[in-house]
Amino acid sequence: MTDNTNIYKPLRANLVDVIEESPLIKTFVLIPEREFVFSTGQFIELSVDGVGEAPFTPSSSPLVTDKLEVTVMKTGYVTNIMHELKPGAVMGIRGPYGRGYPVKSFEGKEVLILGGGCGLAPIRSLLFTLEHMKDKLEKVILCYGSKSPTDCIYKPLFSRLNSIDKFETYRTVDRTEEGWDGPVGVATALLDKIKVKIENSVAVVCGPPIMMKFGTIRILEMGYRDDQIYLSMEKNMSCGLGKCGHCMMGEFFVCKDGPVFTYKEIKHNPEIWK
Amino acid sequence: MYYITLRKEDWHHSLEKLLLTCDIFVPVKDEYSLDYEPFRLNEAEHISYNMPKPATPLKNFFLPVRENVTAGSDGRKPRIIIGAPNCDIEALLLLDEIYLDETFTDPYYRQRRNNTTLISFDCFGTNDHCHCLSYGVKPYSVEHADLALAADGDDICLRVITARGEEFATLLSPARKLNDTESVSFIEQKRQSVEASLAAKNKGLPDYHDTGQLVQKAGYAVWVKYASKCVSCGACTTICPTCSCFLLIDKPDFEKVKQMDACQYPGFERVAGGEDALFELPHRFRNRYMCKYVWKPQKFKHMACTGCGRCIEACIGKINKNELFMELT
Repeated sequence: MTDNTNIYKPLRANLVDVIEESPLIKTFVLIPEREFVFSTGQFIELSVDGVGEAPFTPSSSPLVTDKLEVTVMKTGYVTNIMHELKPGAVMGIRGPYGRGYPVKSFEGKEVLILGGGCGLAPIRSLLFTLEHMKDKLEKVILCYGSKSPTDCIYKPLFSRLNSIDKFETYRTVDRTEEGWDGPVGVATALLDKIKVKIENSVAVVCGPPIMMKFGTIRILEMGYRDDQIYLSMEKNMSCGLGKCGHCMMGEFFVCKDGPVFTYKEIKHNPEIWK
Repeated sequence: MYYITLRKEDWHHSLEKLLLTCDIFVPVKDEYSLDYEPFRLNEAEHISYNMPKPATPLKNFFLPVRENVTAGSDGRKPRIIIGAPNCDIEALLLLDEIYLDETFTDPYYRQRRNNTTLISFDCFGTNDHCHCLSYGVKPYSVEHADLALAADGDDICLRVITARGEEFATLLSPARKLNDTESVSFIEQKRQSVEASLAAKNKGLPDYHDTGQLVQKAGYAVWVKYASKCVSCGACTTICPTCSCFLLIDKPDFEKVKQMDACQYPGFERVAGGEDALFELPHRFRNRYMCKYVWKPQKFKHMACTGCGRCIEACIGKINKNELFMELT
């Protein structure tokens, strides 16, 4: 937790490594000046000194508290500058904020995860947690889609997960490239391939807004109830404190009431897919 | 709650003595408007008593337009704010819910709240767009100000409401406590006349709850129609006593500057990838109404509009939200 006497003050963190995941995505490995405890699915505000800050869900394991990994897509003003940073830089962290995945309630269940693009970052943190508690789970199925094989992040992760008992992974790409012999198409199409006991399952969806929407619709069609579906919502979470108003989604502050919601909690609200 | 009374000159003299230890703000009317001014020695005659309502909402004393929220606080000296109308006092309750929230308390807001004594003025008149009573907010404070003041000629009558108010009352001399049998009939008369005037000018205006229902059901066409005169200047949110959205700006050495922001400005909800749920002006325009009358009431205990009417007065497009509500009724 950052400064509890001043909610606005960031904790400093040393950038010790920068891993290139894809042409647009890098993972920043940070050592915070103090132990940093978060639960999977919570997010932080990561800042470049004097430039700006942006919300990210750490992609590393919540079981590791002295080191933090944050996977960042180069997509706007702050992230463009972030991508120029080299090991040795000092960054700022505020958080952790919000409500993450209620992993305790996943015990005894099959966990279906649908991810797209950079949505795999928070999912990786969740996967570390699920791996740690795999004895208490029935099965973990990951369906992941990226734009192209090159755009797929954490490539070694898939083969590692496939070697773990109870874990299955499926990948697809929107656009094929030489050397790719897997499926081509949207991530939701992967759901046709899987076998899951829906009544004893939860579904987690995390990815770009369009995938969140159609993924949720498809998962509902499969027979999941609205309270079995967990969505990690993306809004302009600026303060992280439920105050600044930028991330309001209907009556919810996504930063404080979320970012993880069940579909049941938010489905009445037409603003969610905007 | 009880009343005390003292002569106006003694009241002014007591305030002047308090200047040694406190910052004091009072409402002063000039040729342009009524607004808060720092109280200074020998300027007591400039105080405008019991007039509705300072141009600046009370929130500005607690949420400055721009402040460094990583530097030390400036708010250590006790403050006395005199002349806030009850609509603004009630509006502070929502800000308290947001900024004094137990999980994340804003230390700057808390310090300012803790070191401020609030002396409300009963409203003895109304402005064109005052409509507090339609939302169940009285034009005088009996609960959430520390004291409330009514001036009667050369006399000042103070309603002592809170413990802080009681402590303040001991600093006034020579003040006399009114006993229960002494009536303050002039206050009662003023209340009746102001409430009658508010009721007459806002006849048919839906109450706060019904407004929420109307706003929620309103079709897109009405937002397009009213937004056609909106230029996204943000005057309505800036002047609103409950609007408190802000932006955090990064400065070197990990300093943060907090600056008031408005959902009416383009880009308020834009995310890094460029998606912007409020890109279209009618969506932005509707957002303020949904926030005040639908979403905030779902989330918080206190009202997000107390009927001060400043947003109507401030709008350069002459958009009158109450006309919009009447159209929806």
